[in-house]
Amino acid sequence: MTTRRGIQGFRQGIGALMAACVLLGPGLALGQSAGGGKIPRQANGKPDLSGIWQTTSAADFDLEAHIGRKDAPPGLGVVEGGSIPYTPAALAKKQKNFENRETADPRLKCWTLGTPRGIYYPEPFEILQRPQDVTVVFEFGDTVRTIHTDGTLHPVDTDHEFWLGDSRGHWEGDTLVVDVRDFNDQTWLSRAGDWHDEALHIVERWKLIDANTIDYQATIEDPNVYSKPWNIEVFLYRHREKDFQLIENYCYTLDYDQYYPYPKS
Amino acid sequence: MNTTMHRHTHRQMIATISLPALAATLGSLIALAQTPPASTPTAAPRVGGGIGYESHYPQIASGSWTGKRLADGQPDVSGDWSNTIANHNNFTDPQGGIPGDPQARGRTLGPREERAPSRVTDPADGELPYQDWARAKQKEFAVGFFAGGKPEWIEPLARCAPAGIPKSFYWHGYEIRQYPGKILFLFNSGWRLIYLDSKEHHLPQNLKLWQGDSRGHWEGNTLVVDVSNLNGKARLGRTGDFTSENVHVEERYIFSPDNKRYNYVATFTDPTVFTRPFTVTIPARRWSVADKSNGWHYEVPLANNPGGKEPIGDHFERICVENNGGFGQLAVSTNKPN
Repeated sequence: MTTRRGIQGFRQGIGALMAACVLLGPGLALGQSAGGGKIPRQANGKPDLSGIWQTTSAADFDLEAHIGRKDAPPGLGVVEGGSIPYTPAALAKKQKNFENRETADPRLKCWTLGTPRGIYYPEPFEILQRPQDVTVVFEFGDTVRTIHTDGTLHPVDTDHEFWLGDSRGHWEGDTLVVDVRDFNDQTWLSRAGDWHDEALHIVERWKLIDANTIDYQATIEDPNVYSKPWNIEVFLYRHREKDFQLIENYCYTLDYDQYYPYPKS
Repeated sequence: MNTTMHRHTHRQMIATISLPALAATLGSLIALAQTPPASTPTAAPRVGGGIGYESHYPQIASGSWTGKRLADGQPDVSGDWSNTIANHNNFTDPQGGIPGDPQARGRTLGPREERAPSRVTDPADGELPYQDWARAKQKEFAVGFFAGGKPEWIEPLARCAPAGIPKSFYWHGYEIRQYPGKILFLFNSGWRLIYLDSKEHHLPQNLKLWQGDSRGHWEGNTLVVDVSNLNGKARLGRTGDFTSENVHVEERYIFSPDNKRYNYVATFTDPTVFTRPFTVTIPARRWSVADKSNGWHYEVPLANNPGGKEPIGDHFERICVENNGGFGQLAVSTNKPN
């Protein structure tokens, strides 16, 4: 899937390449990407996704194109084809969610955002990568997601109902392809009330298009909610500020934070 | 919410712990012990059930590292670990149960020396050197843990808050993952990323965090970590023991030559709460796919890895269902304070 947004982002990424080469640590190997730009690679030759990433898109506010609202900046949308193919009944529920979003969005309780929402939520996350796994640490709620790249399959038991789904990945060329399934129905896909149930199944495609940009694509299906699978694409940009790091954000503790270590008299 | 989700909750982890599996590991544990002092029996009585199966543990000396290393030169200590003596019921008498526990059901404890020593290894008396006001506060918390009535009497871990330092090291098993210049600890409740050498300075001191800000380096077999920016909100145990937002911790993780055990030895300095610094020692041992998965130390089932391949442990998400369903004594059913 190549979009106009993608091409623009790609050009910007190439433009930033010289600076990136200077800024990258000495231990980071640079190799030729399929797209022609240099990307960091691990010792085993696989693209190195390690780093702290964040979207600049308005996807979390609304996955579909939308004008500005009091609670959301405008956005062109990240859904291929423009709209999410809800079934009629599911669309009615989405609209109800939208109406109640100021109180019903699970993010307001700092609950785990889930997959893929955590990826395009407007707060940084860090990728830590080894040959056998890709660990994604989200600043929001301090959630940790493991993408297993050790050749193992989804668990035989399929009723775990994970918040993040069970993620099994493999490399197709320079693209990390991740199959994610076995979800619960507690997460939303955006603050506009986009939803799913336990039948959610996601296939992600993570690809460095230059040293500092990941093209993140996901195919989302849930036959109970959508009439057909649908695709999203967002770009993720590397945080390159000096000494940038995640700052712990166990935001679900804030409601009782005041009582510890002990109430201030 | 499907009930199957709850298989990952703390309460079920406790309920499903496999005592026979732990007993089976005891023999191998004895073999793993590193040159214990002659007077210290390693075949310890199984005090405290399956969670705490050692009443004594070996000292491990700091020294050189001759074991496996990662590409960046770090000793390779990645994998699964868990403490050997007890959970967080009681900080200074780890196998002594929770004082005032109404569910003790008449169990009587034997002589103190039959149980694991205090986690406080300095001062020598094993007591936390509280200032008078703070000792009174700790006692209030300990009584309130069962009595209830005030929100600060609820142990924050029961609300799914991160276990913090040092409790993370005796709250279920945990995993270490290593990367160039970084070490990631994945605990049952919360995580820590330790930056090695790359960052000299801590976060601004006004940022107070449950897990703090960790800067470390290796000295032979010892990982040395300076922990700043702690908010002091995580309690040390169900005994009400606590620190403040002015606590500073210097940690030493001393790994045994065979890479199968380590001792966590940390000095806590907190002039707001204590009269002097104190040292905490927590023994840990490695768990692997050779062990049977269980609900406390090693929550790692075998991965679906067909075709006669090497067994691999599977690590599932650890989410305290869902930062919303507290557990344990006086837990709340929502994330709102009661």
